[in-house]
Amino acid sequence: MADYDAIVVGAGLAGSTAAYCMAKAGLSVLVLERGDAAGAKNVTGGRMYAHSLEKIIPGFAEEAPVQRKVVRERISMLTGESCFTIDFGSSRFKDPASASYTVLRAEFDAWLAGKAEEAGCDVVCPAVADDLLRENGKVTGIIAGDDELTGEVVLLADGVNSLLAQKAGLKKELSPHHVAVGAKEVVELSSGVINDRFNLNDGEGLAHLFAGAPSQGLVGGGFLYTNKDSLCVGLVITVSEMAKSAARLPDMLEAFRESSPVKPYLTGGKIIEYSAHLVPEGGINMTPILSADNLLVLGDAAGFCLNLGFTVRGMDYAIGSGALAAETVIEAKEKGDFSNATLGSYKTRLENSFVMQDMNTHRRAPDFIEHTPRMFKEYPELVENILADMFTVSGPSKLMVKKALPRVFKAGLLNLAKDGFRGSRAI
Amino acid sequence: MKKIAVCYKWVLSDADIRVNEKTRELDMEKCKPQVNDYDRNGLECGVQIKKATGRELVGITCGASVAASAKDALSRGLDAVYYVEDPALAETDKVGSAKVLAAAVKAIDGVDVVICSEGSSDDYAQQTGPRLAALLDMPSVSYVVKVGAGGDAFTLERKLEEGSEVVEVNAPVVITVSPEVGDAPIPGVKDIIGAKKKPANALTLAGIGISPDAVKPRATRVSVLAPATSRRKQVLNPEGVSLDQAAAALVKQLSADGIL
Repeated sequence: MADYDAIVVGAGLAGSTAAYCMAKAGLSVLVLERGDAAGAKNVTGGRMYAHSLEKIIPGFAEEAPVQRKVVRERISMLTGESCFTIDFGSSRFKDPASASYTVLRAEFDAWLAGKAEEAGCDVVCPAVADDLLRENGKVTGIIAGDDELTGEVVLLADGVNSLLAQKAGLKKELSPHHVAVGAKEVVELSSGVINDRFNLNDGEGLAHLFAGAPSQGLVGGGFLYTNKDSLCVGLVITVSEMAKSAARLPDMLEAFRESSPVKPYLTGGKIIEYSAHLVPEGGINMTPILSADNLLVLGDAAGFCLNLGFTVRGMDYAIGSGALAAETVIEAKEKGDFSNATLGSYKTRLENSFVMQDMNTHRRAPDFIEHTPRMFKEYPELVENILADMFTVSGPSKLMVKKALPRVFKAGLLNLAKDGFRGSRAI
Repeated sequence: MKKIAVCYKWVLSDADIRVNEKTRELDMEKCKPQVNDYDRNGLECGVQIKKATGRELVGITCGASVAASAKDALSRGLDAVYYVEDPALAETDKVGSAKVLAAAVKAIDGVDVVICSEGSSDDYAQQTGPRLAALLDMPSVSYVVKVGAGGDAFTLERKLEEGSEVVEVNAPVVITVSPEVGDAPIPGVKDIIGAKKKPANALTLAGIGISPDAVKPRATRVSVLAPATSRRKQVLNPEGVSLDQAAAALVKQLSADGIL
């Protein structure tokens, strides 16, 4: 008889969601988290789309430590000299089913792990699951330090660099093309100042993404999110790109923070936190083997993350995959069969859900983004030039089309058509 | 059965204290409660004595909000925890908390070895152990770094400012220990899970015969401020003078300040 029905490795959003759902169904669950507390090792930009958690804990935002509800979206294209911004505010974003919230993982993950504990899970942190426990080749639990703990099934929710999934042969070592590195600072400012600077009411938030100059021509971009009384400012750059450049990420982040489109937002603020993390960005190309006898892989460990340039999502997929993993384990418990014959249905469940459907819909996105460097340099410059022509008065005027066309020709009509076509099929 | 009681304090972690640069006041908002670091060595000392003498090992704590401490303390080798939680203890002083701990020791049957650490990471007043010894009418042996135990006889090595001293004493005794007495291991997963199943016993002030008046503070803290630090932020090449000149200016300044 195993100590637990299920052992979950990692108390991030995927792990805690799975643990919560399984415990609610009466299963005995152990959660191991290597951080001092759930969320201590986790980083988000960050904004979470609420829909997947809303289905599991309706109205969760009433009690969860969310920062602000995002009602305003901005995207900027920056060159060294110019900034072109799309600003979209809408009360439509307030609908709970499609709402999104800025969150800080240290407090949000701790809350969700607390919900799992309330539901009856044993949540132990800090505790590192060093290896899988096996008996005659069969996974029977985990080894943590000097302790061996047995479970009918082990759920690997141990993050983007899941060493356990690699050891189990379910996942290859990360490719530098499939992961980005994100670095961010949390800058403290009073909530009144944030409301004033970003034209927000109390509780309302803004998400702002930046393309072009922040990544210094590399594949990646910058972000700024408003919290209650702080801002998150950071960069995400594909790892393989970092190797092409002599620039260091901390220096790039500093340059971004000090750049003229960003600096005024931060004036008077104090940097209270710095963090960095790997972000899975390979989409479906990096999906590991999702299940095996007595094993499931979920969340970032399964690469469930999608960067489309204008939305960046990982947390809602983590929660979605956690819930589906739990469903699968609950069924396995009912059948008394934790072999892949039963656990294999996890993949089908994912394929029938938004998780894998999105990964499929946007299967070309990672490749498109990585292999269209023009998006990060030439196109922001094109927009800059056209707009600069439009708004500059220094003598006789010309028809707009006469100003714009040479710019477009310079960028290359063929390139634009090609990238436009490929982009429309990917994004 | 004879018992060892380890007193531990549930303190706010000092790792997340933030200092207001203008007022020098401490902002403890982000600090989480934890078992006082020094008491972890005390708990480890208790584990060693338990192994050597077969006594039962219990933990005692008191404060305004300490019930949550039991699970943590129980993962560190204790058989049971007794805690006294009362809002009146929020403002008490060392006299008050020693009275409460002494009454708790008396309320638990069979305690003849009491262990405290030398101080706590928040106040480090070094009063609790000796005060307890006085209230319990037990000998007090302080600055203990090594414990030899067998039955009721204890051989205790004390680390003094210059040299060391070895003391032999029979239980009952109050021992206050320095961190060198034993590294506190990080609790394992099974220790943490097992802690949930061990008894955490709530005691009340009334139940152990302490009146609210007895814990009223007689010494009151008026303020706590971080030390004043002045940073000069002196720029030695403001007009971009040559490196040689700037270096010469730096050497001159450091000499003038008596640093070189």
